[in-house]
Amino acid sequence: MSLATHPTKRAQRRTSVPRIHPNYRRRMRLADGLQIIAVVSVALVIAIFLADGGAARFGTPADAITSLGVVTGLVGTDLLLMMMLLAARLPSIDRAFGHDSAMALHQSLGKPALYLILGHGVLLTIGYSMVQPASVFAEVWIMLTTLPDMPLAFVGLGLLIAVVVTSLVVVRRRFRYEAWHLVHLLSYLAVLVSIPHQLSVGSLFREGSVQRYYWLALYVGVAGSIVLFRFIVPIVRSLRSQLVVKGVDPVARGVVSIRLSGRELRRLKARSGQFFIWRFWTPKLWWQAHPFSLSAAPTGNALRITVRGLGDASAALSALPKGTRVSFEGPYGLFTDFARTSPRIVLVAAGIGVAPIRSLLETATFAPGQATVILRSSTADDTYLVDELAHLCRVRGAELRIIAGKRSPGANSWLPADAVRARITLGTLVPKLREADVYICGPRRWTDEVVRDARSAGLPTRQIHFERFDW
Amino acid sequence: MRFRALSLAALASLSVVGIGWQMGAQLTASQQTLSAVPVAPAAHTGTAATVPNPTALGPAAPAATGSPAATTAPAAPAGAASGTFDGSVVQTRFGPVQVSVTIASGSITEVTALQLTNDGGRSVMISNQAAPILRSEVLTAQSAQVQNVSGATYTTHGYLTSLQAALDAAQF
Repeated sequence: MSLATHPTKRAQRRTSVPRIHPNYRRRMRLADGLQIIAVVSVALVIAIFLADGGAARFGTPADAITSLGVVTGLVGTDLLLMMMLLAARLPSIDRAFGHDSAMALHQSLGKPALYLILGHGVLLTIGYSMVQPASVFAEVWIMLTTLPDMPLAFVGLGLLIAVVVTSLVVVRRRFRYEAWHLVHLLSYLAVLVSIPHQLSVGSLFREGSVQRYYWLALYVGVAGSIVLFRFIVPIVRSLRSQLVVKGVDPVARGVVSIRLSGRELRRLKARSGQFFIWRFWTPKLWWQAHPFSLSAAPTGNALRITVRGLGDASAALSALPKGTRVSFEGPYGLFTDFARTSPRIVLVAAGIGVAPIRSLLETATFAPGQATVILRSSTADDTYLVDELAHLCRVRGAELRIIAGKRSPGANSWLPADAVRARITLGTLVPKLREADVYICGPRRWTDEVVRDARSAGLPTRQIHFERFDW
Repeated sequence: MRFRALSLAALASLSVVGIGWQMGAQLTASQQTLSAVPVAPAAHTGTAATVPNPTALGPAAPAATGSPAATTAPAAPAGAASGTFDGSVVQTRFGPVQVSVTIASGSITEVTALQLTNDGGRSVMISNQAAPILRSEVLTAQSAQVQNVSGATYTTHGYLTSLQAALDAAQF
């Protein structure tokens, strides 16, 4: 705790350093706690193995391989459960890291978890076959026929491979979102069917042991979180809010603002810049759910989103009839004023990324002259909500900069080719950038370039906030 | 991860793993000392005397089964009774093991496993494989002085310990 108070004192002495927002400290404490729990959970499963006398079972090559196989299975399963929690929309995880970072972490854990589980299968098969002795292939057959619940465990492994392979970026692009999502849901089944063999084959989780209760509690906790936060909470909120489409305003070709009205919306505690996953109950659209950000500050009875319909949903969204029922999951995301650390603010948007930027501009805390809005587009025509942005900037005292022009092919920059030649960067565009929080929303690759520019201008990670859209 | 989170996580993890290691070491040590404790006498009638403490096995196990062997003469003593004798129930890490031995005219004619390690499918599989091997080795050797079945250390120890108790009861 003494560590935590130390930087505050230093910051107060050196007045030139901007005061860090108290929200940030609270958020970081939560983030630290969650990260510590995650790391310790891995240590705990290793400790369970060791407490069972595992350290003594490395004497022979067969024993060592078998023991290693047990450990990889334990750690791999722990990672799988962690991934499921990261995707379970836990409020504390969203508040600490934001949905975007949580899902990025979820994604980056996928391959390690699969490798560990694969290693578990391979190592144990080899270890068992050395004792038998039998060939590895014969051993697989022996395991399937003589050990309890092994066929299910092999099915689980197969499903897991399918889920991870379809999620590799290259493969994923070939699928429709809905198809990919359906395959992804199989991971729940994969985890479920692998539970019996964990309890029946080994003796680590033998009946009546403390380990068995801990292990089962992990599963119950994760399953409970998923059911509660992915199903019950969204259903209850949707039913209570009674959201309906109040009107659809055309913004540009293929882009519309959808106004929604409902009741008791304050109870959602939604903030400007957050997104919901929406479902519009029309015959054509009800089976799809889309993440769209709020493009106006939420009120007690109205929400507004601005969307660019992608593909076949485009026409259907602009033709949404008045009174269409809307259900939703959310609000999610840390792309809000809650994540602020500094007095100044810079909002950078490209394309439809302007939606959350527009709502942030409406309610973010800043004094006149302390905010800059940068709107980036290929041509001066494909910018959305410019009139609204210009109006808000005038009212709130923010500077608006529209930067149009094509990026030069192959150049790694978020700015047009001529701006790159003129050595323009985020640092030259924005005065006192180091004292500002930068919010960036746009397509993935473009966003990554802005983030890189902000980092090279010396901005610490805590001052860079971004939301990237693609699924 | 921030430095504070990283260091706290590392500290907590090391402690947790350290405690686990320590518990494991104690478990292993207790199994080694217990396996040196003499086995309780067995009963003739089928009501088995149960060894109260887990007598599972460590590296010291061969010594444990070796010491009573000095008193058991290689040639069958004249005083050996005929009949079926149940050995003691030996608790191993993977469950209880108990065998019965049939002695007729001074020689071991049959060994039957009454209970084998049953804690987890893998250990059931192992003991089911080891039991026939142990039986035939015992019938050949006419004593509990047979080789460990590799990969079935716990089963072997439980089997031979229970067998020795049965042989002692039969004054074989």
